Amino acid sequence: MPPANTIKVNVKWSGKKFDDIELNLDEPGLVFKAQLFALTGVEPDRQKIIAKGGMLKDDTDMTKLGLKAGHNFMMMGTAGELPKAPEKKILFAEDMTEATLNKAMDIPIGLVNLGNTCYMNATLQCLRVVPELIQDLQKYSGGTDNLDAGSNMTASLRDLYRQLNASGHGVMPAGFLTYLRKAFPQFSQQGRDGVWMQQDAEECWSQLISTLKAKLPPHTEGKLNVISQFMQGEFTTTLKCDDAPEEEAVVTKEPFAKLDCHISSNVNYLHNGILESLDQKIEKNSSTLGRSATYTKSQRISRLPAYLTVNFVRFFWKPTEQVKAKILRKVKFPFDLDASQFCTNELQGKLTNTKMKLRELDNAETALKRRQRLDKEAGRMETDEISDEQKAVHAAQAALEGSLDPELVQDVGCNPSGQYELAAVLTHIGRTADSGHYIGWAKKGDTDEWYKYDDEKVSPVQKDDIMKLDGGGDFHVAYLALYRSRSFKAKSEPVKAD
Amino acid sequence: MVEKKEVAIPVPAADNSPMEEDKPLKKTPKELKDAPIKDIKEELSEEDQELKTQLEMLIERLKESDTKLYNPTLETLRTLILTSTSSMTSVPKPLKYLRPLYPDMVAIHDSWPDNADKRFLADILSILAMTYDDDKLDTLKYRQVGSKNAIGSWGHEYVRHLSTEIGLEYTRRQEKEAETEDLVELALEVAPFFLAHNAEADAVDLLLQLDIVPKLVGFVDKNSYKRVCLYIASCVNYLESPDDAICLRTAHDIYLKHDKYAEALLIAIRMSDKTLIQNLFDNCQDPLLKKQLAFMLARQQIFVETEDEDLQNCINNTHLTTHFINLARELDLMEPKTPEDIYKSHLEHKRSAGAAQVDSARQNLASTFVNAFVNAGFGVDKLMLPEEDDGGWIFKNKDHGMMSASASLGMLLLWDVDMGLNQIDKYIYSEDENIRAGALLAVGIVNSGVRNLADPALAVLSEHLEDSKSVANRVAAIQGLGLAYAGSAREELSELLLPIVSNPDLAMELASFAALALGQIFVGTCDGEITSTILQTMLERADGQLGETFGRFMGLGLGLLHLGTRGQCDVTLETLKAVEHPIAKKTSVIVEICAYAGSGDVLHIQRMLHYCNDHIDSESGGDDEFQAFAVIGIALIALGEDIGAEMALRSFTHLMHYGEPVIRKAVPLAIGLLCASNPVLSVLDTLGKYSHDTDIEVALNSIFAMGMVGAGTNNARVAQMLRHLASYYHKDASCLFVVRIAQGLLHMGKGTLTINPLNTDRQIMSNVALAGLLTTLVAFTDVKTLILGRHHYLLYSLVTAMYPRFLITLNEELETETVAVRVGQAVDVVGQAGRPKTITGFQTHSTPVLLAYSERAELSTEEYLSQAPILEGIVLLKKNPDYVEEVKA
Repeated sequence: MPPANTIKVNVKWSGKKFDDIELNLDEPGLVFKAQLFALTGVEPDRQKIIAKGGMLKDDTDMTKLGLKAGHNFMMMGTAGELPKAPEKKILFAEDMTEATLNKAMDIPIGLVNLGNTCYMNATLQCLRVVPELIQDLQKYSGGTDNLDAGSNMTASLRDLYRQLNASGHGVMPAGFLTYLRKAFPQFSQQGRDGVWMQQDAEECWSQLISTLKAKLPPHTEGKLNVISQFMQGEFTTTLKCDDAPEEEAVVTKEPFAKLDCHISSNVNYLHNGILESLDQKIEKNSSTLGRSATYTKSQRISRLPAYLTVNFVRFFWKPTEQVKAKILRKVKFPFDLDASQFCTNELQGKLTNTKMKLRELDNAETALKRRQRLDKEAGRMETDEISDEQKAVHAAQAALEGSLDPELVQDVGCNPSGQYELAAVLTHIGRTADSGHYIGWAKKGDTDEWYKYDDEKVSPVQKDDIMKLDGGGDFHVAYLALYRSRSFKAKSEPVKAD
Repeated sequence: MVEKKEVAIPVPAADNSPMEEDKPLKKTPKELKDAPIKDIKEELSEEDQELKTQLEMLIERLKESDTKLYNPTLETLRTLILTSTSSMTSVPKPLKYLRPLYPDMVAIHDSWPDNADKRFLADILSILAMTYDDDKLDTLKYRQVGSKNAIGSWGHEYVRHLSTEIGLEYTRRQEKEAETEDLVELALEVAPFFLAHNAEADAVDLLLQLDIVPKLVGFVDKNSYKRVCLYIASCVNYLESPDDAICLRTAHDIYLKHDKYAEALLIAIRMSDKTLIQNLFDNCQDPLLKKQLAFMLARQQIFVETEDEDLQNCINNTHLTTHFINLARELDLMEPKTPEDIYKSHLEHKRSAGAAQVDSARQNLASTFVNAFVNAGFGVDKLMLPEEDDGGWIFKNKDHGMMSASASLGMLLLWDVDMGLNQIDKYIYSEDENIRAGALLAVGIVNSGVRNLADPALAVLSEHLEDSKSVANRVAAIQGLGLAYAGSAREELSELLLPIVSNPDLAMELASFAALALGQIFVGTCDGEITSTILQTMLERADGQLGETFGRFMGLGLGLLHLGTRGQCDVTLETLKAVEHPIAKKTSVIVEICAYAGSGDVLHIQRMLHYCNDHIDSESGGDDEFQAFAVIGIALIALGEDIGAEMALRSFTHLMHYGEPVIRKAVPLAIGLLCASNPVLSVLDTLGKYSHDTDIEVALNSIFAMGMVGAGTNNARVAQMLRHLASYYHKDASCLFVVRIAQGLLHMGKGTLTINPLNTDRQIMSNVALAGLLTTLVAFTDVKTLILGRHHYLLYSLVTAMYPRFLITLNEELETETVAVRVGQAVDVVGQAGRPKTITGFQTHSTPVLLAYSERAELSTEEYLSQAPILEGIVLLKKNPDYVEEVKA
């Protein structure tokens, strides 16, 4: 027999409805809560019982609420645990300094412009894609207190690269700049108003390379240093007199640090320009004829360096205006360059095998991609099984590695395959070499990510953006391109289709 | 002569086939007048010559003294006029030849003594006067002295001419303040003729001119009432007060007379007349129709008390969440979407390829909002609610970001009061002040648009209003109440919140938000007590406090109280003049624009444009912020009326060209308001242009406006533009934040929601929705301090405007009934004769379907009858008793 003052009420909780709960009006709210605890498992102090816009307190006098039988209560509350803050505080980008942020985001560091020094900044950033150079620089032990300006410059470059790797924000290349200007006074030209003048980046590049060639220690004990070994090739030059066919051709060998790409009116592609520059006519005094005669100078590469620098000869001296004027012509440059066409017949013979295998690999990869696309369209799940196409790719890769000429593989620092990939581009915007702006565009490490080094502003860019640098307009135009030898070893993971 | 009589076609007033009626005078009198007189002197054919001579002879006869001949002569004249047939291009011959004789006939008329013949002659003069001088209004004059036979006896063209003259004469007399009784009488004769002859528009126009529209109620019949009401209702936009109210009232009465409760209810809602609504609801006897009325009221969030529990559930929107979830299931949208699904950053012109991920508080906050808007109402998501990873995402937000994060629960669980509150509850116990505050706001958001008899929001939130420790909690509780009870005008809330407004010791922030919440709750009520309290506060507070950025919300609170009330704001505006602080100017503009919201009142739009003319030098202490509100006001006033909206958009481009910075940054917001959830291509282009503006605030507001314009539409073009902006602004955290939010808005409710304040075929403007939109827009007038600062949670104010843009059909038991409907672009059929098609380029779908802004639906089957006049939202269907199933061949 329930007490007289009991009514039956309903409670709604979490989408459930508990009907006909007996509520004793004489008892305080807490008792009712305890009843509900039994039903729902929600502890009384976590219960919110709502009746007509008010909340039932533990000590509420139930008789005063004017409740009628069949009243609907609503209850809020959960039995579970309360949400807890994670043990480890989350560190937000907004809390970090720029340095830690850049580190966390893994963005390379830029160089601050110290007054028209973008030619130097761009050069330094492009050269960073040569890891062998950076490593060897670190081995250089000299200080900056030598009498020889070149040594000082090398030492300060070492320090600068070290700083770039460690720092989180733009580095001031002030020290290096001072030594550079000491070593090469032409870079310390000042304009009439005392402002440093813009310089030709190619000149800076060449001077830097030649200094480093002289100063850096040998790459491996008793051998050449990194510049000679990795960044210098060898030309075989044949000089033949056109006027006296009977005169014997002179064959000489000479090292080269860069290939020139001449830009004449029929050059549309990088290789046209290079080929054009390799065959030249020169005037020379002929010993047999005893007068100056026309000679055909034909250069062919007999050694391909691991890092090939190509110079777009865009600037020519305009005597009337006293400026190095620029040729804006569009010259397309490839991401993958086959250098065998510039080589001597002998070297070409060593490369043909590789070239063939490379084509096979390309075919295999295309087949694999198509297969993957078809699979995806058909909605087939990716399986762990290795498809035939994948096997073919692996086989082709192995064949490619095996095809390399053993003699060339022995020659550390040369390119055994004759295949290059683009690693860095130095661009210029503006109408003359001594004005405008230089920017470096370089790949980061072994990845396929490109970064744009606009002085201290470094930003990731797309591959497509690099392709836009081929000239033809007033946009940034490629001036120097640094190719590196393609490696076929790292490609154990086949490229995945999007 | 005799032959001609045989071909005569009489034109009785009550012709049963109005369409085939041969109008004797198709040529307009105007053309006739302009016809050069020399035409008449041209070579005439024999037949014409004969007619001319005959007419001249007849007039001669009237000049003679033989009175006995008069009557037959006049009879002949009339027969000649009536029987002359004419094509559209030629003038009825008798009128042409009689025209030169008109002055003679007038003289004859004047000379005759008053008798039947004189009246007969007056009748003929009355029609001849159509060809004569306009200014004299002779048609009317001779009609009144004529024999007053049936109005249609001279045909349709005559009646139209007469009605024009009645109108002109009425205006003249009004200027002279003369009696107009006789004109009204005549008009009442003309109107039924028009109504019977497919010229409802003319009838309404005439009565409107004579200020006797209500008389229409007696004239219309079951054939004409629909078109009449449609015409009246569409006239309202162009009428001044109080004519508009009278018109609506008339339409309401006509509908009611024909037992069209649902249509009448829509009109009553437009009038926002609580008593009419209550009466309609109480008097409706059909239980199914009554349920439909309940759903219609629920859509407008108008709450009417009833004993019936089922009906009460309908009105309270209790099952909105069920219907919405059903829709989602039907459209296969239940799978939650992550912010990344929305950003589709793989399609962005990617800048940071594979860079290591760092949690950015700003971007995580953006993701929180995106997650909240995209999964709004679905009750499932991948960030906030998953069981295993409880509460993890909240802590991926920083400080005040956590408030918006826990408040996003309210958005995710929107409308689901029973289940939702439980999930939010545990966060109320959190140790973190921000999470607690967010949870309180969430309680308010969940309850937005639905009413629960237990009033859980009030119960929970009222406890935290007094929280002396945390301002954030109090603000959240206040805001929560504002959102949960928007439009409810509940007295208890006024008692709770008013002390916060009036207490001078409290921070301006609290007082302002309390005023805003009151504005939202009592939107459009002009509540005297609240108005005076807010005004009093403005008078009493120190200048420094009024100058705080929150002051704008106090002004907005006051404005919302007057939303859509037109002239009723005058007293408030007067009182505001007593406040010396610049806040008075701001507030008075806000009050003015709110009061005339949706009125299309050109005079007020001009006033707003005028405000924008002033150049205020803010450096020398001038406050130019009111100009921003004036710009928003242009959109607000023009809202809901297509031509006005078009003109407003035009004037915005001028303001953008020549305006001050404060004006320029408000323009995108105004565009956003004008085209909310209506992605018009030209508007998108404009906003796309502004989103690259050098003034960063213009850009921010444009981006947000793009979100508003595309809200809930999944529009691919907007999506693409926003992705472009995301890469364009990838380095600017603030811009990127707003881009993300815009992306979230675009995919609001996965494309099932709308935030357009106009609903039910764009006829009804929801005050509650406007209140939410305006709150958000006003927050964006100081985007740097509020949205990019600590008060981003104001974005949730949009919740009051969010509603599914669905059409679902239920049967008599309120169960889902799938029927085929045609959905197409709406066509304006106002004033068109017959039963023109209301949609074009339609496709047939089966319910439930989503309707875009300019779309309309109609049932494509005869099997069911719709209870709702307009197929939108929740529609109840009844089996058609007369339906015969088509026999398939």
